[in-house]
Amino acid sequence: MNEPDQSSRDDAMKHLDEMTCLLYIERQLDRARAQEISAHTQECAACRTLLRALERESRLLTRAMLEEEEALPARLAHFQERARQSMQWIWTVALGLAATGVYALYTGYVEPWQQQLEEAGFGGSNLLSLLIFQGAFWKGWQSMITLLEVLALVTLAGFAVAFFRKRVRRGSALALVLAGFCAALLFQPASAMASETRKGESVGVSHDETIKGDIFLFGDRVRVDGNVEGDVFLFGNDAIVNGHVKGDVFAFAKFLQLNGDVDGNIRAFTNTMTIRGTVARNVLTFVDIMNLEPAAKVGGSLTIFVENLTLEGALGRDVLMFGKHFTLSGKVGGNIRMKGDELTINSNAQVDGPIRFEGHKEAEVATGAKLASPVEFHRIEHKPKYMEGHYYVWRVIWTAAFILFGVVLFLLLPNFVAETITSAELVGAPIGLGVLIFFGVPIAAVIACVTVVGIPLGLLALGFWMLMLCCAEIVVGTVVGNWILGRAHDTSGLIGRMALGFVLVRLVYTGLEQMHVVGLLTGLAIWMWGMGSICLALYRRLQPAIAGGTPTAPYAPPLPPNTTVGGIQPA
Amino acid sequence: MSAPGKTEPTQAITRARVGDADAWGELYREYAPAIFRFCRRALPTREDAEDATMDVFMKLKDKLVQYDQTRSFTAWLYKVAANHCWDVLRRRKTRQDKETEDLENVPLEHPDPNQLDKLIEQRTSEEVRRALEKLGARARMALVMRYYSDMSYDEIADALGVRRAFVGVVLLRARHELRHALGESSALAARGAS
Repeated sequence: MNEPDQSSRDDAMKHLDEMTCLLYIERQLDRARAQEISAHTQECAACRTLLRALERESRLLTRAMLEEEEALPARLAHFQERARQSMQWIWTVALGLAATGVYALYTGYVEPWQQQLEEAGFGGSNLLSLLIFQGAFWKGWQSMITLLEVLALVTLAGFAVAFFRKRVRRGSALALVLAGFCAALLFQPASAMASETRKGESVGVSHDETIKGDIFLFGDRVRVDGNVEGDVFLFGNDAIVNGHVKGDVFAFAKFLQLNGDVDGNIRAFTNTMTIRGTVARNVLTFVDIMNLEPAAKVGGSLTIFVENLTLEGALGRDVLMFGKHFTLSGKVGGNIRMKGDELTINSNAQVDGPIRFEGHKEAEVATGAKLASPVEFHRIEHKPKYMEGHYYVWRVIWTAAFILFGVVLFLLLPNFVAETITSAELVGAPIGLGVLIFFGVPIAAVIACVTVVGIPLGLLALGFWMLMLCCAEIVVGTVVGNWILGRAHDTSGLIGRMALGFVLVRLVYTGLEQMHVVGLLTGLAIWMWGMGSICLALYRRLQPAIAGGTPTAPYAPPLPPNTTVGGIQPA
Repeated sequence: MSAPGKTEPTQAITRARVGDADAWGELYREYAPAIFRFCRRALPTREDAEDATMDVFMKLKDKLVQYDQTRSFTAWLYKVAANHCWDVLRRRKTRQDKETEDLENVPLEHPDPNQLDKLIEQRTSEEVRRALEKLGARARMALVMRYYSDMSYDEIADALGVRRAFVGVVLLRARHELRHALGESSALAARGAS
């Protein structure tokens, strides 16, 4: 009985339209209209069914959309990491500038020097292979690497380590790779070091003696009268070589005389050097007074940093000289490049190549001198650096190179960098420590080098001291950046502050540099502050930890959004 | 609008606003799955959804400073995502959209409540998702905004660029399109025509 009644009542009523029902379940109607609908649905079964169907449709839609049938794609899972690592445009610019700088430095400075070094007998391949892969690198002068090369090598090594660290997560594996690399480097010179060592007041190789390998001679008077089939290393006050050396001669002596024959090269750091004998290859020396007497014959070239050079003998190839006075009476088979005060060419001199002289006054050339071409003279003009445009270009390039170097360090050692910056913010303590380190380490290193055993330690300390010197400005720059932008909580924020601060420090320092004493003091302050901060951070690292790290908060996944439910809209 | 029980990552937001990449990463890890699903429902292909998710989070880096911390972050984030997806869809007006626009001028037929109820009961979530993919851009976008991210009518109106009063119509038409896509719309018209 009820059904027909209900049905007939429904038919008699005006049914709700679908839009009204939808707005009702979505709570979009005002209170009065919603109450009307509510009352109507109490009476009308059809509209009640429609409302229920629409609500179920809403729930079905929400459920269908919320169900997670697809996992987050791997591309998105890694996106955050990639986005985080993405370089901003400033880094692109810095990288571009750094690359330009490296290229310009290579073509402008390194390549000419490389050619010069090749002529001086330091191998025929490129500079890097010369520095890294030749055993001779460990023996002598080639260890003089420019700041740029240090930076470039460290940056390259940093990138390599960062690259491996991404792939080799385990610290032990990384340590193994590094240890292997170091062992390979150490092993290489080790083979060249198989040698004999003699020490004493007066030491040497006697006339009838033949040394099969290398020999190290330490003494007040050092004398080589016999034959040496390897290299000779001389450390002494008075050194004389009368015999025959088939390898190279490396000399650290006050006086060095070469009366015999050397089949290889001579590399010497002496006060006075005299050559009367024959050198088959090249001579490279830092010396106060140098004489190549009339009987002397050098087959290769002469690269020399000298106060006074007198050349009366015969030189097969070129002369590259930095010094004060050069008097030429002998024969030079190649060209001459000299930067110094005076060049005197006597009448019995002969030069087969061009002569380029950069000095304060023109060369004096005697009339009988046989020259391939007239002397090309360039007067040295003392113009303030800041008056020249390229000074600023190089400043920008160096700034970019340092920032790049800093980026590598920050990415490689984020925790240590953060600790260093925290130490640097103390200001007083790091500067105090910096003064000690700045002066103390070089002195200690020199003292260590006096003993043979201490040489590696001394060189290592000096190397680390130089590395800290390079990093000092970066540390100070980061602190300045933190002062301006507030303290960073992550590596990329720290890198941004480093870049900003470094540029500002550079700007200020460039300005102050023109005021000599102030510039020097500013430079010293920056170096000491930075070095002190690094040492302080190192010191703290070496202290035993007092407390463990703070536990991280548990991960809470996001909750799904609400579903829509029907009902009366609240007033 | 904010999810009930959901704790807003206030600290992470504050840190991310000042450029803390770790905090930004934290937000990404927490919200990327939900935003990807939103984009996946709103956009035609999976690749589109992936691109859109990345774009939304890149935009987030710049827009985070505009976020009012007194309001729900989840709601705000969905709004950013919705605006982005709708921009993407508007930029590529497809032929399908043209056809569905024509459909919008057709008067809506009143459904038979019992048949509608039966239809809803018989359909699975999977079928609904497949049907959603066949909808026009605006219909799909409206349904996703309303029933996935629980956006208000005002927010939907703002995102779609329509008057608020028209949002109900858009949603109702979207439901009809969906029923049509589910292949049952003609059967539902019985009572509406009478």
